[in-house]
Amino acid sequence: MAMLEISNLNKSFGGLQAMTDVSFNVNEGEIISVIGPNGAGKTTLFNLITGVYTPDSGDVRFQGQSLVGKKPSQIVDMGIARTFQNLRLFTNLSIMDNILIPQHHKLKSNWLQAILRTPAYKKEEEEMRKFALEKLSFFGPRLMSFRLYQPVLVLSYANRRRSEIARAMATGAKLLLLDEPSAGMNPKETIEMTKIIKRMRDEGGYTILLVEHKMNLVGEISDRVVVLDYGKKLAEGDYKDVVNNPEVIEAYLGKKATDDDKAKKDGGLE
Amino acid sequence: MQDTKHIVQPNRNRNILLTIFATVLVAVALLILTSLGSVKLGSALALFAIWGIATVSLNLVNGTLGILSLGHHGFMLIGGYTTALLILSDDKREKILASGRSSMTPFTVGLSIDNFFNAIGLTAFTTDETLWLRFLVAILLGGLMASVVGLIVGIPSLRLRGDYLAIVTFGFGEIIRLTASTRIFSPITNGALGFSGVPTEFGKSVWWTFAFLGITIYVISKLKYSSFGRAMEGIREDEIASEAMGVNLAYHKVLGFVVSSFFAGIAGGLWVSWLGGARLDSFLFTLTFFFLVALSVGGTGSITGVLLGTALVVFVRQYGDPLEQSYLITTWILAIGVILLLTALAIYIFRTIRRSRPKIIPAFYLFLIAGVATVVLALLAPSLGIMQGEFRGFGMRAIFLSILLIIIMVFRPDGMVGRAEFNWAWVFRERLDQPTEEERKQDAWLSNPELNRPGGAANTSDVEED
Repeated sequence: MAMLEISNLNKSFGGLQAMTDVSFNVNEGEIISVIGPNGAGKTTLFNLITGVYTPDSGDVRFQGQSLVGKKPSQIVDMGIARTFQNLRLFTNLSIMDNILIPQHHKLKSNWLQAILRTPAYKKEEEEMRKFALEKLSFFGPRLMSFRLYQPVLVLSYANRRRSEIARAMATGAKLLLLDEPSAGMNPKETIEMTKIIKRMRDEGGYTILLVEHKMNLVGEISDRVVVLDYGKKLAEGDYKDVVNNPEVIEAYLGKKATDDDKAKKDGGLE
Repeated sequence: MQDTKHIVQPNRNRNILLTIFATVLVAVALLILTSLGSVKLGSALALFAIWGIATVSLNLVNGTLGILSLGHHGFMLIGGYTTALLILSDDKREKILASGRSSMTPFTVGLSIDNFFNAIGLTAFTTDETLWLRFLVAILLGGLMASVVGLIVGIPSLRLRGDYLAIVTFGFGEIIRLTASTRIFSPITNGALGFSGVPTEFGKSVWWTFAFLGITIYVISKLKYSSFGRAMEGIREDEIASEAMGVNLAYHKVLGFVVSSFFAGIAGGLWVSWLGGARLDSFLFTLTFFFLVALSVGGTGSITGVLLGTALVVFVRQYGDPLEQSYLITTWILAIGVILLLTALAIYIFRTIRRSRPKIIPAFYLFLIAGVATVVLALLAPSLGIMQGEFRGFGMRAIFLSILLIIIMVFRPDGMVGRAEFNWAWVFRERLDQPTEEERKQDAWLSNPELNRPGGAANTSDVEED
């Protein structure tokens, strides 16, 4: 059984069909990239999986359980976490707090125990901090030691991206949805991010579904690639096969216009 | 391998000892202040503590949770009326029953802790000496009542966001006050008459009020620094992100709201005791407005700041009466002149501190000349025979407070302390967010002069290694 099964997913916003009959599977331990031109529905797909939107029809099943109709926070509880395309860190809070908040849903103590600081709560708090340090150490020393207590707003863009990934990992999720993890990074940092994503799978045991525009990153790490265009799945498979697929090339680069097409287009405009 | 610095708070035991010591110090200071015997000072201190409870609890919603709530006076009213009804003395109750204008029934008049204790056979607690116990029970019930109403109000309204929620909370605050005056509720609230003769020995007592303030600060700061408080701060920073990180928005918002209304109820109970009576017009929106001023002036989100703001607001309220008295018109004009001159001085000092150039700007001359002219006018006016008579500055306190608010909003938009919180590490200059010498040495980026050359845009990434 696949870890995540997406079947015949449909979603429209008013008259705009943002997602049409998309289905694919994500197996445990895979890295799957979703690519497509701008507006293809990649982020919509993420929002549908994480419960921000409810699909019009179709089903998303995670480890056999349907995610449709669940709240985003419940979906995190089940073991899916995401990052955001345009960073949504808690900018005024410290890095440490940013990595502790996603662990809050695992807390067993109730609020009264937390106020009274019972030994059980204290122990949980220590565990949370240890877990946070463990997840942050994935990114080397650059988010550690004194930087833990600096607010996120002093961080560089690349470090914010790393913090966001660390925050998603800290939820304790098995499946991570990374929305453009290398956006805004220079080539060197992109290569490093590629390595980190590989390590996350190999050492951390995460299954990763990612949206990315940088083809070298996609080509290097993906086990499979899913191509979306206008909310439809164009192709799925190995990176090399997919990028040589004429339909995919057409979606990305457009079709060479023949005289026939031009006549059609002119006719269509009238 | 990991040192425990990041797992448990460093110097925790020292901090606890210092906190206990500081609490004792505050108690000694209060003892000295109360032994001076000034009634005015005592009631000002008690008012500071009561309003402090209200602002610290309002700050949990407005500052930590990031929800603008404008209905705090409504929750205070519930706590206040509950407390007043439950501890009113028997002769006051008889007067209410005897009065033709009151719509209270014998049953509602009989709602008291006294009768309850008598009914369950605890007659020992119905004497005058044990009034404190009855007050304690009454005020806790008042807090509980307020939190129940907070729960009822909170569950539907906290689905809204931002301005809409502010309007709804304001509406609920007013609804609570207005329904209390209606015919349906006047058998319990005694309508527009309210309750007079509520015992003042608790609300006016520095010890009672500060004890409640201490408990409030303790509970709310513990909540703020727990995992739940962090989740609330996450909601303040970014609702969508915190929901995507597994924070249950509704639960945490309602939790914050209910805890906040509980302490609002406690503040309300002490407030009626401070006033010596519960009347509907002691729970107007202006009460919440004063709390909001205290929050904005001190720093929304910081308990320390909120208490500083409250101290300021209470000071202006209790000691601002010289501002509202009758003075000669020339005195008022002289005061305006002095303020203009002080503004000029402030401009000069600010530009010196900030090292702005030019140090002296046209505005400085403007204020200086206007100030000198006004002072000269005020001094010459009596001998010229103009501007005679007196002027009484009604509402000057509110104007003064408003001007103060404007000045702080211009120069420190985040309030006096912003979101910073008092802690012992700050007193001892222990900055966790700055590298220690050891960390500096270990850190390649900070210790390597090659990398750390000023202006040299080196990359910290360790990709170069391979």
